Amino acid sequence: MKFLMCTDGEELAEAAIRFGGRLAKGMNADVSVLHVRRPISSSERVQLTATRKKLSSWDLDIPGVDYLTRAREILDEVGLTQVPLSKEKHSRAFEGGVQGATELYLVGAGGENVRLRLREGDPVEQILEEAQVGGYDLIILGSGGGRGIGSYFVGSTALRVADLAACSVLIAKNIRQDHNFLLCTDGSDLAEKAEIAGAEMARVLGAKVTVLSVAEDESRREEALQSARRAEMILAQMGIEAKLKVRVGPPSQEIIAEAKDHDIVVMGASGSSAVRKFFLGSVPLKVMEYGACPVLIVREKRGKIPLQAG
Amino acid sequence: MSELLKRKWIFIGLAVGFVMLMIPVPEGLTPVGMKALALVVVAFIFFMTEPVPLPGVALFIAVSQVLLGLEKPTGVAQSFMSDSVFFIMGSLMIAAAIVKQNLDKRIALAIVRLTGPRIERIVLGLVSVSAVIASFIGEHTVSAMMLPVGVALIKFTSDDRKKVKNLSILLMLSIAYGAMIAAIGTPSGGARNAIMLAYWKELFGLNLTYFQWVVAAYPIILLEIPFVAYVLYRSFSPEVKDLSPAISALRAKVEEEGKLTRQDWVTIGIFLITVVMWMTISDQIGLGITALIGVLLFMVAGVVRWEDLNNNVNWGTILVYGGAISLGIMMKQSGVAEWIAKSFLTWVEPIGIHQGVPLLAAMSLMTVVLSSFMSSGATVGMLGPITLQIASLSGTSIVQAGFVTVISTSFVYLTSVASPACNIIYGGGYLNRTDFLKAGWKLVLVSFLLLLLISAGYWRMLGI
Repeated sequence: MKFLMCTDGEELAEAAIRFGGRLAKGMNADVSVLHVRRPISSSERVQLTATRKKLSSWDLDIPGVDYLTRAREILDEVGLTQVPLSKEKHSRAFEGGVQGATELYLVGAGGENVRLRLREGDPVEQILEEAQVGGYDLIILGSGGGRGIGSYFVGSTALRVADLAACSVLIAKNIRQDHNFLLCTDGSDLAEKAEIAGAEMARVLGAKVTVLSVAEDESRREEALQSARRAEMILAQMGIEAKLKVRVGPPSQEIIAEAKDHDIVVMGASGSSAVRKFFLGSVPLKVMEYGACPVLIVREKRGKIPLQAG
Repeated sequence: MSELLKRKWIFIGLAVGFVMLMIPVPEGLTPVGMKALALVVVAFIFFMTEPVPLPGVALFIAVSQVLLGLEKPTGVAQSFMSDSVFFIMGSLMIAAAIVKQNLDKRIALAIVRLTGPRIERIVLGLVSVSAVIASFIGEHTVSAMMLPVGVALIKFTSDDRKKVKNLSILLMLSIAYGAMIAAIGTPSGGARNAIMLAYWKELFGLNLTYFQWVVAAYPIILLEIPFVAYVLYRSFSPEVKDLSPAISALRAKVEEEGKLTRQDWVTIGIFLITVVMWMTISDQIGLGITALIGVLLFMVAGVVRWEDLNNNVNWGTILVYGGAISLGIMMKQSGVAEWIAKSFLTWVEPIGIHQGVPLLAAMSLMTVVLSSFMSSGATVGMLGPITLQIASLSGTSIVQAGFVTVISTSFVYLTSVASPACNIIYGGGYLNRTDFLKAGWKLVLVSFLLLLLISAGYWRMLGI
């Protein structure tokens, strides 16, 4: 189990890392924290290298390292790492590595299950590439949910990563201490995968679970109830008791409305084709964009059951 | 995906060029001129969209000139490596030699010794010192040297970025804008200056010396420094007004270094000798050869090894400037520059901006817009032959037109990408893109007005 958490140094990202750290601890996962540094044009690269050398001669970290150091401290606080970061923190970044990625070593950093990585370039591209190269099972991103221009993880970056990633994605916004899960199902195979993953996560966090199935109109209410029952059975097999709920209306709207009383929404990735998604939008992305709580979109990686602990 | 999108501009550019070769030649242009124009347009598209790195565009220019039959191979090679290009290369090497020494810490200490701990005075100090150094060795180098100074002052003030957000922006922009306004101060301040010198000489037989350049351009920097410091200080009111703790920390850091070493003194000495040679004998032996003498002295004195130069000089830049100059010479020789200039003049005559200060204002505006979208070197390279030709045809001073074109490329305060200094500072991660806008628009206005005043007053007084 490998988690990739992304930070841009903003408070939202820090909250996401704290949450992700707790999850990783419960699921016994390997964690990498990634910061994507702003791209710089190739003609200034030589000077930037000179700047980095100068920074290290001043005993100053290269840009972005402080965000990763902070992330590491948060992971220490939640108890993911065994050896806390020493007070005297000197970092050394190693250039090169996998396709321009930089691995960061902090003196006094313990716990081999946490790695810190720096990349440079377009955030979406770099996150996706890191996720692919590193073979991660879950990407965790903080998001403000808005579309401000201030922080680059807000809004569009998170949504684009969620849309394009090959693995499961958790967009963490407005994280609360309670973890009432809302498991959305439509009875499809993909939804079933999401149910298993969501249940696993709920067990780790000791959360309550509600299963929601949405019927697009009254005539399909019975069908929706069947889907919810099936999910309930799967959860029961995993030893989790769940409440059932059926709503009628447009799926994304109904899920967003129901999510108000819950802390995390779990759903399968949209099975629609790219063309369908373009014209109709994807339900998970809409929930992610307009919903008020964290959203986990579960995707199956080939040959792997998603998000199983251990 | 975005790679593919970028590549599409190769095909669009080439298609435009191909169509231009097919359509009838417009009046006033020869068939050879049309070929040259097609190449100019394609190069322009490539410089703007960068479907391949800029040095690749330079190679494309060289190859196309020969393949289109516009110039013989040796002719292209000659225009790629003139004394001006030597000058650019030598200046970059000297800058690399200086950056290698750890003079940045001493400079930092010297600044705060002069200014004391009050932030408004430190801002003025940072802007002035960045400007003065950048006016001799270029804005790239200064931002690389001074960024750590700024970061150190921020970090020594507070480890929590959020508490010193405005202070960070203020210090970073002081360095970037200080370096940016000064690159035009002397010929060695920026490679684009060397392009303009080359155009004056190659296209109009006009020899401007290093010293004459300084006399004409330096006052602009001196006038801009207080404006930049004031506007920045007003736009980003810092959280901390007194940096005493940071200054003590900085002092301690520099004391670890001990006294100036022999090598430091040698570096400073050779650099000063080079500047004096530029001022005095470079009009006989060429700016480029003078620069190379400086580089040789650095190597002989053991201040730099070839490996240092090899790793710390951006060789691609030299190629880009070579390409730009080569293109400019071709524009003049093929009659393209004259044709564009004439068309422009017939077009603007009815609105009355066809000569004098109004014309210079229009040129400045055009330059600012263009250099916001492509590198300043490419802007001067493409626009230079045209603005000089326009000035020549309309009876406006060629020297003034040239200066306006070069100086206006420094007015790109608005984006992080348009100037190397801003790009490097932005890479430091203390700024958002929008921070550049906040103070930038005021500085564009101030600089623009200042340039027109200088041109109508000071330059006229100098008789250039």
